[in-house]
Amino acid sequence: MSRAWLAVLAAVVLLPLIVRHAIASEIWIFAIFGLGLNLLLGYTGLLSFGQSTFFGAAAYVAGYLLKLHGINVFTALGIGVVVGAVSAAMVGYLCVQRSGLYFIMLTFALNQMFYFIAYQWTTVTGGEDGMPGVPRPLVLGMDIRQPLPYYVFVVVLFLISLWVMKRIVESPFGKILQAIRENDVRAEAVGYDVARFKLLAFVIGGAFSGLAGVLYAMLFGIVPLEAIGFVFSGNVVFATLIGGGGSLYGPIIGSFVFIWLSESVSVVWQRWPLLLGVAFVIVVLFFRGGCVEAWARFWSWRERRRALAGLAR
Amino acid sequence: MLYALMGLGLSLITGVLNIPNFAHGALFAVGAYFLFSTLHVVGNFWLALVLAPVGVALLGLAIEYAGIRPLYAAGHDYQLLFTFGLSLILSEGIIVVWGPIGFSQLPPSILRGGLDLGFTFYPKYRLFVMVMAGLLVLATWLFLEKTRYGAIMRAGIENKEMVSLLGIDVHRLFTAAFGLGAYLAGIAGALTAPIRGLSPSMGVDMLGIAFVVVALGGLGNLLGAIAAGLIIGVAQAVVALYWTEASVAVIFAVMAAILLVRPQGLFGIR
Repeated sequence: MSRAWLAVLAAVVLLPLIVRHAIASEIWIFAIFGLGLNLLLGYTGLLSFGQSTFFGAAAYVAGYLLKLHGINVFTALGIGVVVGAVSAAMVGYLCVQRSGLYFIMLTFALNQMFYFIAYQWTTVTGGEDGMPGVPRPLVLGMDIRQPLPYYVFVVVLFLISLWVMKRIVESPFGKILQAIRENDVRAEAVGYDVARFKLLAFVIGGAFSGLAGVLYAMLFGIVPLEAIGFVFSGNVVFATLIGGGGSLYGPIIGSFVFIWLSESVSVVWQRWPLLLGVAFVIVVLFFRGGCVEAWARFWSWRERRRALAGLAR
Repeated sequence: MLYALMGLGLSLITGVLNIPNFAHGALFAVGAYFLFSTLHVVGNFWLALVLAPVGVALLGLAIEYAGIRPLYAAGHDYQLLFTFGLSLILSEGIIVVWGPIGFSQLPPSILRGGLDLGFTFYPKYRLFVMVMAGLLVLATWLFLEKTRYGAIMRAGIENKEMVSLLGIDVHRLFTAAFGLGAYLAGIAGALTAPIRGLSPSMGVDMLGIAFVVVALGGLGNLLGAIAAGLIIGVAQAVVALYWTEASVAVIFAVMAAILLVRPQGLFGIR
């Protein structure tokens, strides 16, 4: 077992001791969401600004079925994954045919389409008020309605997701995606159907988003309209980037930082998205390269100060 | 026509600067709110209509100079994050300054009421906006096609390296393009205020539409922006007659339908 896995396991055990269980669960759910985006952004080089489409769609569909038809928890998760993958296939089919800025704009525009459908279809989604009353059914006869058992449930699913994602990025398929990221013209020339591989990456990313969406709905017992909104899509891009895209564990670090940041600013001021926006701008202007680089810069700054202090003496 | 105006401004910014500008909708909203406030200060609609977009353009220049300029080498992901953060700051800033509740804004007294066109009855102000937006699109077109600066800007969309090799300061070109794009967003916002009123979410709603126009029309493609703006404007109006709830979602559905048939957009660039 590698050091990274040990670190993740340590974090899994320590986290609920430090923060509230609900927030700890939210961090891992967001990390699953980030893993899905990272396959696109970090490994395939596709900047999708519409990930909340799949997250929200899965949350609404599975949440609706949980609420009104009392489906089994595994059925709900399965449905979430399928809804995420299918919606990603539809959106992806349109988007992968264009590249660069057009790709970003299309993922965003289609995200807006789903958002407005959820906004207007009030009989099902509750519109602006969200869809409340999503239950947490029994898991193999065990009750997960208390925060701690639910945390365990989320963490188990997170670890499975991480393992699956590790297998994906280390497989030949993952290598092809990285080849597309580095040079898609060359990948095409070598004989790979670039559009199809991009679409496949999109579908897998959507499936992960869907899983995260269902867990999110069960965590809060409600599907808020924001879960399918573009700000949510932006948040996961931010989390993945600050964690350092292109590394398997980047989104996990990013999700820690992001949830911690948003939880701490949201208690300070009701208009906390403004502070979040300021944080985005500061990170982009001064800490590009994510947490890892910021850490390195902090150390070199300390070294220099120590050297200067030595000189002064 | 308003959609075309919005799309054109965004198209200029995205085309020349090669960045995804997610703050474009927020600039639109700021334009509307600037109109509202200047109107209160100066008390003259026409003067406010001139001043408000200039304010937005100045804001745009400041944003480009301070924030976007260091990011040209940084890649789309960070540029996106920056403009997205900016859009959060601007739209939340609107709530902080003007409050979360929207306002309604009456058009000036000459433009109130409707005009009998013989076959139909149409509000005067909407006609005015259509004419204004048409004139602005025309003016932008003349500027881009007939003046030296316009030629430089078009050249910037085609090939930035070549432009800078010819001894033109591309950074100034970028700043100018962002300012012009922001101006167009601001005036679109100011013109919209008396039609739809003001609300903090107006920017985001418009942003999606602007992206649709650019995705269909092509970057920096004026004709494309106008055509795409008209298509979705008409589609929205027709659907709104029969099924009001779907009138926003239909914009994106129309886009998806067009892209299914023509993945390269209306005029097939890139």
